[in-house]
Amino acid sequence: MAPTACFNCKEARAVIIRPKNRHKLCRACFIEIFETEVHETITGANLFFRGERVAIGASGGKDSTVLAAVLKTLNERYDYGLNLVLLSIDEGIRGYRDDSLETVKRNAQQYEMPLTIVGYGELYGWTMDQVVEQIGKKGNCTYCGVFRRQALDRGAARLGIQHVVTGHNADDVAETVMMNLLRGDLPRLSRGTSIVTASGGSDIKRSKPLKYAYEKEIVLYAHHRQLDYFTTECIYSPEAFRGSARTLVKDLEKIRPSSILDIVKSGEDMAALVPREVSQSGKSCKSSAAVEEEATGGCGSQNGRTSGGEMAAMEQQLAENEAAESHETEIQLPKKVNGRAPKVVKAQTLGHCERCGYISSQPICKACTLLEGLNRNRPKTAIEVGIGMEDEEGSSTLARQMEQAQLTNS
Amino acid sequence: MPTKELSNPCMECKDVEATLDIRKRQLCSDCYKRFLAYKIIRRTDGYRFKKNQSTRPKLLLPLSLGVSSSVLLHVLDSQIQRQLAKPIGAKVPFDLLVFVIEPSTIATSDNLHQQNYDLVLERFSTHAHTRLSIHDIFDYIPDMKEVMLEYAGSQFVDDSSKSNKDRLAAFRNSITTATSQTDLDYVLLTRLIVAVAQKNECEAIVWGDSDTRLAAKALAGVSKGRGASMTWQVSDGMSPWGIRFEFPLRDLYKTELEQYESLCQELSGVVIPDPPLPDNVLTKNLSIDELMMRYVQTQGAKYPGVMANVARTANKLQPSSSDDSITCSLCGGLIGNVKGNTGVTVTSQSGGNQGSKFCYGCIRSRPDPTR
Repeated sequence: MAPTACFNCKEARAVIIRPKNRHKLCRACFIEIFETEVHETITGANLFFRGERVAIGASGGKDSTVLAAVLKTLNERYDYGLNLVLLSIDEGIRGYRDDSLETVKRNAQQYEMPLTIVGYGELYGWTMDQVVEQIGKKGNCTYCGVFRRQALDRGAARLGIQHVVTGHNADDVAETVMMNLLRGDLPRLSRGTSIVTASGGSDIKRSKPLKYAYEKEIVLYAHHRQLDYFTTECIYSPEAFRGSARTLVKDLEKIRPSSILDIVKSGEDMAALVPREVSQSGKSCKSSAAVEEEATGGCGSQNGRTSGGEMAAMEQQLAENEAAESHETEIQLPKKVNGRAPKVVKAQTLGHCERCGYISSQPICKACTLLEGLNRNRPKTAIEVGIGMEDEEGSSTLARQMEQAQLTNS
Repeated sequence: MPTKELSNPCMECKDVEATLDIRKRQLCSDCYKRFLAYKIIRRTDGYRFKKNQSTRPKLLLPLSLGVSSSVLLHVLDSQIQRQLAKPIGAKVPFDLLVFVIEPSTIATSDNLHQQNYDLVLERFSTHAHTRLSIHDIFDYIPDMKEVMLEYAGSQFVDDSSKSNKDRLAAFRNSITTATSQTDLDYVLLTRLIVAVAQKNECEAIVWGDSDTRLAAKALAGVSKGRGASMTWQVSDGMSPWGIRFEFPLRDLYKTELEQYESLCQELSGVVIPDPPLPDNVLTKNLSIDELMMRYVQTQGAKYPGVMANVARTANKLQPSSSDDSITCSLCGGLIGNVKGNTGVTVTSQSGGNQGSKFCYGCIRSRPDPTR
């Protein structure tokens, strides 16, 4: 069979079928088109300003590695005038994060960008390994997700940087749209798709320049530019629930490749249709609940805050609501409550956590609440952990204190 | 005086043995029917004969002869019959126009289902009835031919010497994928139904979409880039043609409607049973609508509430307030982005959309000239 010529340049031999639209392209054209699309996204959304310092949330995975590579290329090609740095979070998961951090360190050299690593241990006094030891393998993704969303912000604040870019891709955004639709989560539906998820004031702005880039194309790009990235998925996320939405999106992509982009488009439109009292609740105090919510990324796109159990729990709650409603029907008082006129929706108000000052819709933010729970049971675990701790770097402050206490006692 | 101890009395009337289980309530068949009918009727409460009006509101009920729309017809008919049976002071809330699109002109089967339709005419004779074929769309919407021609692009050749039926068939054959075919069939159906409603001066269309169907429709619509149309395709609300769309079955699962149907003598012989879902179909050969229907049905068996919540969530979206927006000449959807959406999907990533008469969703279903 004669080789097919590239759809774009019509000269070179096509070696890639573009997942997005099945165009047959040569290597050079694919790379150029991919980069140009990211550039269009950046300029279309006015993402950066000249001289801006931008931290790239780098996990060592394909998304953030491609993001760093593309931003470096575009920054030079189009003279954005950006000052790019890498920011990594060390969750403290041995066998996963320590290896991927090595990748990030190599990336820092390859792209000549300064790298900062912030650890859960130093921020919270708990590494994920310790959290898992305490609460087990189930449900720990909640901790990781909640901790990470603050960690990136705190890391950026430490560097005096106002803007963090993350490697969320179109597949992630499409999954989020589907997931929020399945969960009936209107506030998140209104924020999940926006390319910039916080702005103004002293708060850190988050954005996703790869929002319209297909996961498959990111892999292809990384492959054809021979980028150095880390592929293992988090060892603690076997039952991540995003699964349901993810399977659906993958099936849709098989049927109609443009689906992923189509879902993103639908998500953007629907976000604008969410009643104001719901969507405004996050924006009015500037910072964002959006930051709070989009935190699912970071360890690739694998993790999710919700577990399968959560779906069942929601089902149960809905069934209870239903039961309560049918009691209303029974005593025939429907006019006031039911009826089609009022579409009452609960609004969220955002303030600051009383303990750490982080944005929160509750008096105490989720991270502090989780930490409180963890710390309550600390003494027992700390001693257990403390024993095996000697050979482990990045041990928690508290554990180190315990060690010191033991030393001074002996 | 209790005549006999009931082992499992109906939770509602307490007089009869409960035979059915719905939402954790054990009911007898009469109370079950009443329970369902109540959930439907309260959604049409807004349409009633008011004192200061000279005429009753007229609602168009599109009847596919499937379970859901047949049950809707039965419930609304019973409501009207109850009023008519009153010797004095009958308050008939609204008039119904029952509209059937000849199923054989949409589906591939040749079965005319004449007997089913005759039974509808006989048993629901109080109401006005109309039956048309899908290709009558050319008579009802005069510019439809031009719109189609423009939509299908240069590859499609229209032969004006042919009958409406053949011309529509040629257009439908020019659409290549299952997803696009299903998508456009639904668009055409909607257009014809709306046109009939307009011609007959109906105030609203009462659709027979069950909760299950609405959830699948919402997920499929979103997947096809039609998120902006959810405010009238899944929500109760004003359609782009100035006629309200209502979905009175939105609280009821398909399985519940099937149970109701099995309890109604009047519906036997009317309902055309759904063709069974074929097993072992490759995912990529399904249409997006089929995929979503399967998803909602399988997940709905485990998590009915979660699936119900999808339609409820979509129903909370509020239509965009801007009146100046341009609408798609095919489906009526919005061209470009919803006001307030600053996304750049349309402008730079999809191509060929600017200056178009068609919306994003319709462009996606358009035959691709590059392949």
